[in-house]
Amino acid sequence: MSILKKPDLTDPKLRAKLAKGMGHNYYGEPAWPNDIFYMFPICILGTFVLVIGLAVMEPSALGEKANPFATPLEILPEWYFFPTFNLLRVLPNKLLGVLAMAAVPAGLITVPFIENVNKFQNPFRRPVASTVFLIGTFVAIWLGIGACLPISKAITLGLF
Amino acid sequence: MELLKRLMKFFIISFIFVISSIPFSMEMSEAYPIYAQQGYTNPRAANGRIACANCHLAEKPVQIESPKAVLPNKVFEAAVKIPYSKDAKQILGNGQLSGLNVGAVVILPEGFKLAPNNLISKEIKEKSKGVFISPYSATQENILVVGPIAGDTHQEIIFPVLSPDPATNKKINFLKYPIYVGANRGRGQIYPTGEKSNNNIVTSSFEGQVIDIQTLAKGETEVTMVNSKGNETKQNIPKGLSVVVSKKDNIKLDQPLTKDPNVGGFGQTDVEIVLQDPSRVVGFIIFAFSVLFTQIFFVIKKKQFEKVQAAELKF
Repeated sequence: MSILKKPDLTDPKLRAKLAKGMGHNYYGEPAWPNDIFYMFPICILGTFVLVIGLAVMEPSALGEKANPFATPLEILPEWYFFPTFNLLRVLPNKLLGVLAMAAVPAGLITVPFIENVNKFQNPFRRPVASTVFLIGTFVAIWLGIGACLPISKAITLGLF
Repeated sequence: MELLKRLMKFFIISFIFVISSIPFSMEMSEAYPIYAQQGYTNPRAANGRIACANCHLAEKPVQIESPKAVLPNKVFEAAVKIPYSKDAKQILGNGQLSGLNVGAVVILPEGFKLAPNNLISKEIKEKSKGVFISPYSATQENILVVGPIAGDTHQEIIFPVLSPDPATNKKINFLKYPIYVGANRGRGQIYPTGEKSNNNIVTSSFEGQVIDIQTLAKGETEVTMVNSKGNETKQNIPKGLSVVVSKKDNIKLDQPLTKDPNVGGFGQTDVEIVLQDPSRVVGFIIFAFSVLFTQIFFVIKKKQFEKVQAAELKF
């Protein structure tokens, strides 16, 4: 068991803080040097070993040489672009596709202003923002899965 | 005169080549890596497609199992798995049914090659009896091909591979490399010449109503159709294919007349392998232990300091 400092309940300052649910840093195990000097380096060195171990045992592959004249058999962007990639290939008009892509950051910009008059932080008390978030997340995941499927199943996912 | 002589020589040599290749291509009627070897210097196109897929149009899964990492100058096994139902029967060129053959191509990183016979363990030799693995070409020892061999006994083909040594070969580095694998079961759908094999659906070349289906002497089936203008046309279906149309059926152009006889297919996949430097591993182990001891020292030192804190009650 590590060393513990008892709270000094005769101190009126601490009592006032405790009454407000604060002041817990006044007692218990001291941060310096017990934690910061002795325990933190253990954790830091541990992460060093993990990262160096990965670099030695599982180095990243160099990959193939870039060739602008060879389109790979499957073209897919990075995973976080899957939903917009799917939009681009599904929408028949290129301008429409680009506009749909631009709509994503445009929509994100509106987030701070949706329900701005609502003072609550609790998502259950912000029904509009929460609904927009849930539907947006669902659509993004749905389209992202669709991007990995052939174009005939891009929207339906082959379910309908 | 000199030019004329040269031209003559060239024509004679090319003529000999053509003549000698004719019986060769006639004999070979199944899944043969030799087709790819004749037609492609590199079986893997820049977009990642392996040449076998040009003739084996159906897609079926394949797997490869290989070690995650190998040390230089060591023999390791890469096992290619070509699963299919053992009940499956394919149609041969003469229309008879038989078991499937398999074949595979393994594109190793440059410098890797087939293990010489004296380095292969007895166990692997026993397991891969009747499997003759050969390099793709004289200049590309890192590409290995095998096949066609009987599939029922060789759904898993083991390739014994010798890893290169960066100490002797300066082109090789201790890195992670990809291994590309293509493997096939069953016959292809087209020949390298572009002709279709009989391992295909036969589709109708005409439009009209079927008025007669007859079996000919050689086992072929003859479908007679009459179109709306009253013209009769006949279409032959090779032996061994099962006809799905019956009399009085109205047939559209390109409508399938037979079941799909193909039970095989080609698949390709890849796996990564690390060419590992043994000194790096030893160095890492030493480093990891030194860190472990440092961490233990920190804990012990902290416990010691806690005793000081408890004694002085000053914290």
